[in-house]
Amino acid sequence: MSNRTVRRFVEGLLRGQRTEQARPDDFEAEQMKAAIELRAARLGSDAPREEFVTDLHRRLAAEMSDGQPAVSHSRWAPRRREVVIGGSVAAASAAAGLVVGRNLLAPTVTQQATPPTQTELHPNAGTWRPVGASVDLPEGGALAFDLGSVNGFVHRAHAKLEAVSGVCTHQGCKLWLDAPESRLRCPCHSTSFSLEGTTVTHQLPVAPPPLPKFQVREINGVIEVFAPTEPA
Amino acid sequence: MIRSEREERRPQPVAGLQPVTGAVYPDWDAVYRDNVTWVYRLMYGKVGNQPDAEDLTAEVFMTALKPLRVSATVPEVRKYLRMTARTVLASYWGDRMGRQITTIEEDVPEVIEPESIASDAPDKVRSLLQRLPDNYRRILELRFLQAFSVREAASQMGVSVANAKVLQYRALRMAAQSGEEATS
Repeated sequence: MSNRTVRRFVEGLLRGQRTEQARPDDFEAEQMKAAIELRAARLGSDAPREEFVTDLHRRLAAEMSDGQPAVSHSRWAPRRREVVIGGSVAAASAAAGLVVGRNLLAPTVTQQATPPTQTELHPNAGTWRPVGASVDLPEGGALAFDLGSVNGFVHRAHAKLEAVSGVCTHQGCKLWLDAPESRLRCPCHSTSFSLEGTTVTHQLPVAPPPLPKFQVREINGVIEVFAPTEPA
Repeated sequence: MIRSEREERRPQPVAGLQPVTGAVYPDWDAVYRDNVTWVYRLMYGKVGNQPDAEDLTAEVFMTALKPLRVSATVPEVRKYLRMTARTVLASYWGDRMGRQITTIEEDVPEVIEPESIASDAPDKVRSLLQRLPDNYRRILELRFLQAFSVREAASQMGVSVANAKVLQYRALRMAAQSGEEATS
């Protein structure tokens, strides 16, 4: 009834082992294919391990530097932390569809070495817009705002105001305020940010960059954020 | 830094909008970061185990990155990676089984979004399972989708371990036959 070739293959597959050599006939091959499809459909089993992604990056960096003698080796073999951090900048710019127009294979050491710093939003044209009353924002509190063109969260810590974007830097889902935990959470991929905008937790191969900050001020009991001017 | 012709013809890069359709990756690092997840998923869907999927993913990038054409656009890069993956998978099966167990199709839509490349496997499997008798479907679900051991699956179904094993292999045979019919 059940043949040995398929049985051995399926047992290995269900144990998560490598495929061993075999010489299946047509129908055995068909069963193997069905087994692979079934196994691969298991929920949550097809995301690459973070260690694998990082390790392969390191191997590729070494490989790519072989043909690039002009670049000093130390700069091409960044430590793990630099690789992870630097990579997210590149990934973010690629995801945003930015065209840099550089040689694809040219070394871009600067990108690798620069950590993703938190940027401040400076719109081409903007105005100070009220987002709430000072009394509504006690020390340690946070307040959501939506100005149409932008939305975000302003919070007060150590008597200082800080405002960050309310849009996840991964794929643009709208963050929600988890006030008890002082976290901004993304509903899409469980990424979370601190109220200051730094990335706290994520389940992605590459950490999403921190949230951009807004300029924020307090005038006559009103909190204002510098936001892009609405189109006429 | 070598500047591509494309860049020379553009207005000053600081001002003005860049067309997304002609988007290129800034460097190999960006190519890797943006594509490693879907390449891995694609391979995993074709081999069904992590160690082989990791090796094959590594082989794709090791093979593809160096000769990658300067200023290839994002869709071109993805198509190229997919074609490389296709070749890498074919030689893997040739070596292991002397034949192709699974393949990566050549005809892909012009615009490839990484999210959509991953696979249509869950839908396919669902319809495959629906064509099977209840106890066959159940044993495959327990063993393959829910990671139950034979023993656990047997007790879930109220049958003996030996019985569960037989059920599993008969179910897989039927799934394979029904898969064959569905595609032919």
